[in-house]
Amino acid sequence: MNLKELYQEIILEHGKNPRNLRKTEGFNKDAKGNNPLCGDNVHVYLKLNGQKIVEDASFQGSGCAISMASASIMTDLIKGKNEHEAKEIVEDFLGMIKENPELKSKYLNEDEKTKLMCLSGVKQYPMRVKCATLSWHTMVSAFDEKTEEVKTEN
Amino acid sequence: MNIDQIKKEFPIFDEKIQNNDLVYLDSANSSQKPKIVVDRINEFYTKQFSNVGRSVHYLAVAATNLYENTRSSVQKYINAKDKNEIVFTKGATEALNLVANTLGQSYLQEGDEVLITELEHHSNYVPWHFLRKSKNIKINFAEINEEGEITLEEIEKKITPKTKLISITHLSNVTGAILPVKEITQLAHSKGIIVVVDGCQGAPHLKLDMQELDCDFYAISCHKMYGPTGLGVLYGKKKWLEELPPYQGGGGMINEVKKDRISYGELPNKYEAGTMATAQVIAFDQSIKFLESIGIENVMKHEADLVEYGQELLQKNNSVKLIGNPKNKGGVLSFTIEGVHPHDIATILDEDGVAIRAGHHCCQILHDKLNIPASARASVGIYNTKEDLDQLNESINNCKKIFNL
Repeated sequence: MNLKELYQEIILEHGKNPRNLRKTEGFNKDAKGNNPLCGDNVHVYLKLNGQKIVEDASFQGSGCAISMASASIMTDLIKGKNEHEAKEIVEDFLGMIKENPELKSKYLNEDEKTKLMCLSGVKQYPMRVKCATLSWHTMVSAFDEKTEEVKTEN
Repeated sequence: MNIDQIKKEFPIFDEKIQNNDLVYLDSANSSQKPKIVVDRINEFYTKQFSNVGRSVHYLAVAATNLYENTRSSVQKYINAKDKNEIVFTKGATEALNLVANTLGQSYLQEGDEVLITELEHHSNYVPWHFLRKSKNIKINFAEINEEGEITLEEIEKKITPKTKLISITHLSNVTGAILPVKEITQLAHSKGIIVVVDGCQGAPHLKLDMQELDCDFYAISCHKMYGPTGLGVLYGKKKWLEELPPYQGGGGMINEVKKDRISYGELPNKYEAGTMATAQVIAFDQSIKFLESIGIENVMKHEADLVEYGQELLQKNNSVKLIGNPKNKGGVLSFTIEGVHPHDIATILDEDGVAIRAGHHCCQILHDKLNIPASARASVGIYNTKEDLDQLNESINNCKKIFNL
């Protein structure tokens, strides 16, 4: 276990100053998620344009540095992607957080991969995986227009 | 009293936890177990096992005697008037559900009011909420003051002519406030109101005397009391336990079963349907012996010293904010660090072998009131030392360093 791997500078920075921590004006997809055991909660907003491309993504909520950084990085890199691309990225991310050593999606550029890999330290802390994944599951729920709240248990 | 000696009675402290000595500061969640309790479970299963209260063979009779022996020990330990006032349950949660359910069946009526407090654990709120849904009773909340206490005056203020029952914690698992249960009970009884006490945090750390407290019900969690999991105790005044209907139906709780009628057994069998947590009950006798061997006055003195020491230490630590500052405080230090979420605190402390809890501690009402989503909590038991709290403080400093505070 290595705390420095978990709390990399970029995570601390995103945790402290999360990007897109707001409510997108004119959003057309949204979903809520919460970790009942932790009390973490997140509300993800997406604005898709006529070509079904994410024009803006944002979130509101509260949680630990890991969950805030994860939501911050996610909402940043999902902009400009369509639903199919976004969902593949989610799958790739979830696979990496749980077991895969690297990200494979062709929809991620090197810079985006580097940023996301900063969250890979979480896999050594099983209790914290749900902190990193909550906003991602919630985004999928927003795409799918599910009305019930996402509850993440690892 | 030699704490090093007492600590040696707990095998877990011989273990290395991720290469660290264990600094266990999560006893409000669950306590560690002394060797005599662990050994007793093993011994019972290895050499003495049988179900209790049913068969007439030698092992069954012996096991029944051991089981009933613990009931007598609990009665003595909490100074209940009658042995049959002690009911074993699967936990304090079940004990509180039993009380709410049976009072709901036969005593509380639509429109009646139940007074609880903002300090309550979910297990002393949700069972009453069930009655709010099913019977249309009303739940009122006594509010905390700035110190995180519930005062007698606040309780008095919230009592209305419709208040039928007050259900309160003995000791808050977040602020550590010890409630004036005896005085609240006197006041309540003078108005014909029943008093239920959630004793989860009280029982392991305070002197218990049911006849002096005079409350009508008192729920105990055995695993927080150096005992096994899966076991709780409900103390209930005999008149109530006799008058109220059964909670669960099944074997052991009946008197006579016919196609057209069923009569129920006497106390305490009436409330112990099905095969109980036999080994746990028998081992719990050793937990009581363990506490008696130290003496509850010594336990209280040791933990009061620890909490005073810890409080001073954390108060001096910049950016640590303690939650609550009650005059009468049990061994709980809940805190937040400005700029670090409690889950991050807990993970970072864990790296040093310091086990604390982070979250809402099953007290969302209180955290909402304090306007924080979660808190970190260090809680002490008989095996903790001032060195443990020094380590806590040092690990908090490391946490601040990681977060550049």
